Amino acid sequence: MAQLPAHPLPPFNAVAWTVAAFVTAAAPHLLAMPIWLAGAVLLVCAWRLAAAHYRWRPPPALLRLSIAGIGIGLIIFAFGGLWGRRTATALLCVMLAAKMLEMFTMRDLRLVASVCFFLIATQFLFNERLVYLGYLVLGSLLATIALYRIQEIRVGPGRADLAGEVVGARGGALLLVMAVPVALTLFVLFPRLAQPLWGLPDQVMDGRTGLSDEMSPGSISNLFLDDSPAFRVEFDGLPPPPEQRYWRGPVLWNFNGNTWSRPFFSDTPRQSFVPVGPRGLSYRVQLEPHERRWLFVLDFPVSGPDTATLTVDHQMLHRHPVTTLMQYEVVSNPDFVDMPSLPAGLRTLATRLPEDRNPRTLALAAQLRQRYSDDRELIQSVLSWFREEAFYYTLRPSPLGRHGVDEFLFDLRSGFCEHYASAFAVLMRAAGIPTRVITGYQGGFWQAGSQYLLVRQSDAHAWNEVWLEGSGWTRVDPTAAVSPARIEQGARSVLDAPRHLLDRDWIQNLRNRYDRIQHLWNRWVLGFDHQRQQRLLERLGLPDMSVERIALLMIVMLSLVSALLAWLVLQPRRLSPRSDAEKAWQRMLRRLRRQGFVKQAQETPLEFATRVQTGMHPAGPEFMRLTQLYCRVHYGNQGSETARFLTGAKAFSPSRT
Amino acid sequence: MSASPSLADYRQTWQRWFQRWIARRGPTRPPLTLKYRQIFILPTRFGWALGLLMFAMLMGSLNFNNNLGLLTTFIVAGLASNSMLLAFRNLQQLNILRTGATPVFAGRTAHLLVTLNNTARRERPGLELKHDDSTQMFSLGAEQFTEVAVPIATRQRGWQQLGRLRIQTSHPIGLFEAWSWFWPERPILVWPAPAANPPRWPDHAADHIGALPRERADGDEFFSLRPWRLGDSLHRVAWKASQRHDSLLSRELRQLQSPDLRFDLGQTPGANLEDRISILTAWVLRAHREERSWTLTLGAGSLGPDRGEQHLHACLRALAEH
Repeated sequence: MAQLPAHPLPPFNAVAWTVAAFVTAAAPHLLAMPIWLAGAVLLVCAWRLAAAHYRWRPPPALLRLSIAGIGIGLIIFAFGGLWGRRTATALLCVMLAAKMLEMFTMRDLRLVASVCFFLIATQFLFNERLVYLGYLVLGSLLATIALYRIQEIRVGPGRADLAGEVVGARGGALLLVMAVPVALTLFVLFPRLAQPLWGLPDQVMDGRTGLSDEMSPGSISNLFLDDSPAFRVEFDGLPPPPEQRYWRGPVLWNFNGNTWSRPFFSDTPRQSFVPVGPRGLSYRVQLEPHERRWLFVLDFPVSGPDTATLTVDHQMLHRHPVTTLMQYEVVSNPDFVDMPSLPAGLRTLATRLPEDRNPRTLALAAQLRQRYSDDRELIQSVLSWFREEAFYYTLRPSPLGRHGVDEFLFDLRSGFCEHYASAFAVLMRAAGIPTRVITGYQGGFWQAGSQYLLVRQSDAHAWNEVWLEGSGWTRVDPTAAVSPARIEQGARSVLDAPRHLLDRDWIQNLRNRYDRIQHLWNRWVLGFDHQRQQRLLERLGLPDMSVERIALLMIVMLSLVSALLAWLVLQPRRLSPRSDAEKAWQRMLRRLRRQGFVKQAQETPLEFATRVQTGMHPAGPEFMRLTQLYCRVHYGNQGSETARFLTGAKAFSPSRT
Repeated sequence: MSASPSLADYRQTWQRWFQRWIARRGPTRPPLTLKYRQIFILPTRFGWALGLLMFAMLMGSLNFNNNLGLLTTFIVAGLASNSMLLAFRNLQQLNILRTGATPVFAGRTAHLLVTLNNTARRERPGLELKHDDSTQMFSLGAEQFTEVAVPIATRQRGWQQLGRLRIQTSHPIGLFEAWSWFWPERPILVWPAPAANPPRWPDHAADHIGALPRERADGDEFFSLRPWRLGDSLHRVAWKASQRHDSLLSRELRQLQSPDLRFDLGQTPGANLEDRISILTAWVLRAHREERSWTLTLGAGSLGPDRGEQHLHACLRALAEH
């Protein structure tokens, strides 16, 4: 780049807009990287601004190269390699920052400004919530203004003052506003893929966690502080009452004394057929990405989306981890009897316990077994024991040791749903009753105004299913015995102190309100997929559109929109607005025209007035006087007489005189 | 049998076809108003690059069914389609009124003046006028007109044919370039370059005995006083002298004249025609500078005897055209 100094340095304003566009587009990416790396990127941006201000020359090539190399090294150090999407976007940010060191030609500036759009688009792979619409608008606006200002370099130095900036910003903004019709047309009509072309992303949670596929003490209570939505549900008709809102997730069979996990047959598709039943419930779930495969459903799912399978224990598993907002429709039958007879293999699995653990629990189970021969009575007695003894529901349980269940049942007696579910399952299994642990979500907030149920991460829950002769797998929720409010009013209601500083009712109210808009956004913007597109077209009277026909429709609509835009843009600009005096004069001319006096184009006002006067019109002298006044007001410099002319012109009425 | 057509022939055929095609689309010489049939538009290199970026964004967003990503992509698409429209608008209905150039000596840079008129009520920023390798950047305000000087290198005397000019713009963000071709109204005249060290011109005075400096009436040098006659203009009255003589006296003016110079191509020294022409050019210029009267003979025709600017230009033009 020896010839670089031959280029004039780009003006400060073009550089400043470009840097502003980059910082805005990179902002969410910067927030997701280690703070020192983000700081380094911002430092380079600051250097570039200073260089533009003080007219510094670009640093030598070797230095730039080594800084880029160091940048890659830092990325590898911070992310442990160059793999993964966050790493990729962080690398892009760092490389663009390195590019700024040599951003001294129009081409380089343009490159950085246009890659800003790419940077914005990649952020949506991580988060598509409503607030990011603002990010999209602001980022695109700054990038467009930057491109607009960069183009002005070519023509020669533009105006460097504030007015020049305003003109440039307005030019860019206008360009962006004009892009909206085309963008919206494309958005609605661009054919969507029903299937992805290649693999889906794997990390979207940015460090947040969803429901895990294992349950150990503390794994669910961690979620309790997270008020972000897990999913939203719309029902055909009213939602089921709170005590029936058990959203089934992973079903856990294996217990190693500390952790419950899924068994080897977890992914096996079920063979049994579940009928819809008389109380069949149909609903649509809008699931936030959680990087796992399961789709949450009410018991027991009859049918789900094509991309999911139903397993033997009625989990609904998606083909691949859910990393984008996903919508699915489910029909559930709450009356279904799951496994009227239990195969011997499953019975063994559902009663197995680790050896040498929880001796006190085992003793209690044996004692209970002696007293109650009937399984149902035994369960009832345990639940009433939970209810009547001093068991507490708390978020901050003490850590448990090797005989965790013993410690919980006999010593601590305070815990979260996972402790109850785990302890109950161990007790049941010890008594010989087949039991499994179900994790998922319980409850949800009914948004009456928008008719959907909002289920938050903090609604995560764990409960049990026991197998009973005659009724198959039956849901039992030990937490409900301890704390009925948890089930009826939600997890938050059982606490007497706010979880954190912002945990106030009015804030919760605001959050609920905001979620309604978010819901609409999810439904109409983010969830606008192949099926919704089809449904929308159907509603517009275009049913059964193939991809080719949608594409054709898109081209036709795009041409129409473009033609309309072209018509608007290419229209000659209107004359500047006329003054009041001119308008009043035109009105007088119209009145005279009705009397048969038409002013010819080549006539001056005074010539016309003379003609009117010699035409013996009774209003002639008055018109002459007003015309002279008009000439002084309009052509001369007699602004003070404007009011006099306006009142005279208003009163002028040739027909009455 | 004719030889098989060479590559150059094909190129010529193609150029002829292309020029006819351009010419069919509307007038190609000023005065003209650019209409949609004469305005062409294609993406610039930056435009193609952004297209590639857009494609990557589109595939990624479609694959991940990422609607906001798609929206971003489509906003870029909207920007591109607008910038195409605005680039076109920037040229549409632009008036190219005339082109013209003052003659220059060969080797100097001529300036082709292109007069453009913007009759629209909106400005046209970022226009470029391109000829060969030179590009002139300019902007036109609303209802404004301007003259753009396009530098043109000259090498040879005579009428220099000019290639077509290209008026182009990549307003507003450089994604698309709209352009139109036009030819200059007429070629530019290139005078021969004057010889740097011309020999002394032939002194024909020696050939004509008695051809002394002649006088011609009505020059601008004072000759004598004579009585005022009807018809003498007032500024010729010698007022001071008249007062002294108590009668009106008029100044009589005469022009002192050195003998006519006669330049003949046939009798000019020089190795070849170009040398002789450039020597003649130098002589003519010098004669003009010295306010002499001269006759220029080029082959059959001859100019003069005469003097002055007009005669000089006529001679230079004859020399250029010879």
